[in-house]
Amino acid sequence: MAEEKVSRRDFLLYAMGGWAAVGLGGVLYAMYKTWEPLPEVKAAGIVRFDLSKVQPGQLKVVQWRGKPVFVLRRTPDMDKCDNRSIANEYTVVVGICTHLGCIPNWEPDKKIFKCPCHGGEFNACGVNIFGPPPRPLEIPPFKLEGTTIVLGETGPEYEKMMKG
Amino acid sequence: MKELKILAVLIVIVGVTYWGIEPLAHSIMHKHIEEAIHKYHLPDYEFSDLGSTPPLDGDPAKGKEAFQMFCASCHGLKADGIPAPMDPKTAAMSFGVVPPDLSNITSYTDKKFLFHFIKDPAKASEFKKIAMPAMGLQDEQIADIIAYLDSKAKKVHGEELFKEACGRCHGAKYQKIYAETPPDALKKYLGKVPPDLSIIMKAKGEHYLVAFINKPQALLPGTSMPRVGLNKEATEDLMKYLDEISDPHKEQRQKVGIIVLAYMLVMIGLTYAWKKKIWKNIH
Amino acid sequence: MEKKGGLMGWLDKRLAVDALWKVMMSEYYLPKNINFLWSFGVLTMLVFVILVISGIFVLMYYKPDSHMAFDSVNKTIMMDVAYGWVFRHVHAVGASIMFLVLFIHMGRGIYYGSYKAPREVVWVTGFILFVLMSATAFTGYLLPWGQMSYWAAQTITTLFSKIPFIGPDLVIWIRGNYIVEDATLTRFFALHVTLLPALILVFTAIHLYAVRVVGSNNEDGIPMTKEEKKEKGIPFWPVFMSKEYFVMSVFLLFFFFLVFFNYKFAMDPINFQPADYLQTPPHIYPEWYFLAFYEVLRGFFFSETLGLIGFVLSMFLPLFLPWLDTSPYPYISGKHRPLFKIMWWIFVVDFIALTILGKLPPTGLFAWLGLITSLVYFAFFIALPIISKIEKKKVASGGGQ
Repeated sequence: MAEEKVSRRDFLLYAMGGWAAVGLGGVLYAMYKTWEPLPEVKAAGIVRFDLSKVQPGQLKVVQWRGKPVFVLRRTPDMDKCDNRSIANEYTVVVGICTHLGCIPNWEPDKKIFKCPCHGGEFNACGVNIFGPPPRPLEIPPFKLEGTTIVLGETGPEYEKMMKG
Repeated sequence: MKELKILAVLIVIVGVTYWGIEPLAHSIMHKHIEEAIHKYHLPDYEFSDLGSTPPLDGDPAKGKEAFQMFCASCHGLKADGIPAPMDPKTAAMSFGVVPPDLSNITSYTDKKFLFHFIKDPAKASEFKKIAMPAMGLQDEQIADIIAYLDSKAKKVHGEELFKEACGRCHGAKYQKIYAETPPDALKKYLGKVPPDLSIIMKAKGEHYLVAFINKPQALLPGTSMPRVGLNKEATEDLMKYLDEISDPHKEQRQKVGIIVLAYMLVMIGLTYAWKKKIWKNIH
Repeated sequence: MEKKGGLMGWLDKRLAVDALWKVMMSEYYLPKNINFLWSFGVLTMLVFVILVISGIFVLMYYKPDSHMAFDSVNKTIMMDVAYGWVFRHVHAVGASIMFLVLFIHMGRGIYYGSYKAPREVVWVTGFILFVLMSATAFTGYLLPWGQMSYWAAQTITTLFSKIPFIGPDLVIWIRGNYIVEDATLTRFFALHVTLLPALILVFTAIHLYAVRVVGSNNEDGIPMTKEEKKEKGIPFWPVFMSKEYFVMSVFLLFFFFLVFFNYKFAMDPINFQPADYLQTPPHIYPEWYFLAFYEVLRGFFFSETLGLIGFVLSMFLPLFLPWLDTSPYPYISGKHRPLFKIMWWIFVVDFIALTILGKLPPTGLFAWLGLITSLVYFAFFIALPIISKIEKKKVASGGGQ
């Protein structure tokens, strides 16, 4: 009889503990949510930029989530970029070297991006062509709305590019 | 049984205290407000203290002429392609406050009030320092102007209504809405910068706000807030908007609240069962 | 008993967790003749934990700066942070409810004579905890930087200026300014989040330790000998706690009802207007838990000095209860002390009356009622030595139960 009493008490104790754990889960969820970026931070994470403002051959730098984004309007004498080209003639890449995170410089005469830190080079498409960088420059998530590019949102063009 | 008695005593003590410090205290502290509301039958959307109004069946075409002659030197009417004669800053410098664009004025202002306001702005608004002078117009001319304004006005709601009806003096900075008139001009004109209305609903409550907007001097004698003659529909629309912006999580709060209370009820059942079990052989 | 292996065995060898568990929980015996009011001690700890946790989360977005404080509370925490409003509501309501639980805990202690020998240290540490909690609540109330926050701090700090000689300089020193300003806000903030809660933790530990040394009181005030405990008593764990969990659940249901559906009593509407040092709101009053003491301050409406003295006395007289009331056994619990019982009920009713009057405008009838209730408040403390004397005589002549 004593045995039975203990086991029944245990069952209720476990049920109570389990239910308390459910409540704790709810509290932890709310705590987790409070650490998410605030709405204004999220809103600032989406940047609109009118591509037509860039002249052929010109490079513009857009700030996006604290990083520089290079917008280059390519001319026919530059590399063809196939799957890395946006609206046929633009290169839009995060301007952070994939080696150790320095910011490469655009060298208009050679038509390459060159990293000042360890000499890595990327062509006009942002593809690594020399030096230590292991990967091409990253393409930020984007969406096209006419000639405006929305950085921080993903559109069909971006998804297609990521698949291919 | 004994414990239930103790609990009952406890509930009575806590209940009496709560009643004393909340409903009772507030009813005594806000007595003069209730009295004013009762005395003037607020909100009074007839604006009955302003006296009788002639029939407002004017001619919009004549009204347009009168408008251009008497009103357009200060007011714009974008709905009919009449721009404001000055930019807001210059207007605020010369008048103390930016004169409103009158495109939609009749949709949110009571027309009878508007009639008396055009006739004698200081009297209708119960604000002596009001920037607009009495224009000395004939009753028919005023009726024509109102008919003209009415022919152009469209309904505005929520934020748009707030900006048109309140936004020349008040901002709601949590919504990134700032008063159209610069604060220093307002301070000169009114004596102090009018309060930001982002969470005014929480501070004042709908009951007070509705009466206050309807007749500011009745609730806060000497206030620099003019009576603006909002009609019933616009007042209600505005209250809904102010409530939404002051308490954006209301729905979520109620939903989460119900879930939490249901959770606690189950917890009470479980803990009671366990207590019963453990205490079975005690006593 | 059980075999000691694994982690628990390892820990036990190094920290004696088994012995600690026994002393604090499973072999800490309480008398059987106690009611659910004895659960309120653990409830204060529960509320304290709730306050600390919710406090940490509002702290992450709060800005202790007079230009940013109001918006950081009312915009960032209440509107922008996901579930930020929950933590703020819980924190505000929790602070208020802490005092309800404390008052019940203290009221029970007074009624059943739990402050009397040998429990003086329990009472004194408990009283210190009450003072610390009041200081924490007061400093915390300034932080939202609303009109009520501001004027409460302004008026209460002004009280210090009434101290003879050093007053005027002291109040400027406390504020770090001639009025309550940024410096005041920041130092109140620092005290509220660091020193005060740390002190509360220390004194809670002493309080709990002390009550385990002398044992819990009971309805009849009959002390248990060590031998009786095991037979007549109930162990703290699991028997007492099984009831405690039930009381906690009911309490939390009430608490969360307030948090979600009836929070206005803890978040005054006036405090949703930003602090303005040029305009006092028409009605200012402290939070409800200070109203009784505040009313004693106002009660002597004809003399500022008397009011101040009364105010200080009303707060600190309870500390001396164990020495004002010296009746020996069997006159411990109010249950068996007819005279004391009457005075206790008068005191409780008076305290409620003071609390309610504290919020009403102090004019006309209310002013006189304030004076009477203030005097009655002190009557309790004056009556205690007299009652003790009568009861001592009865014991000497062989009376009592």
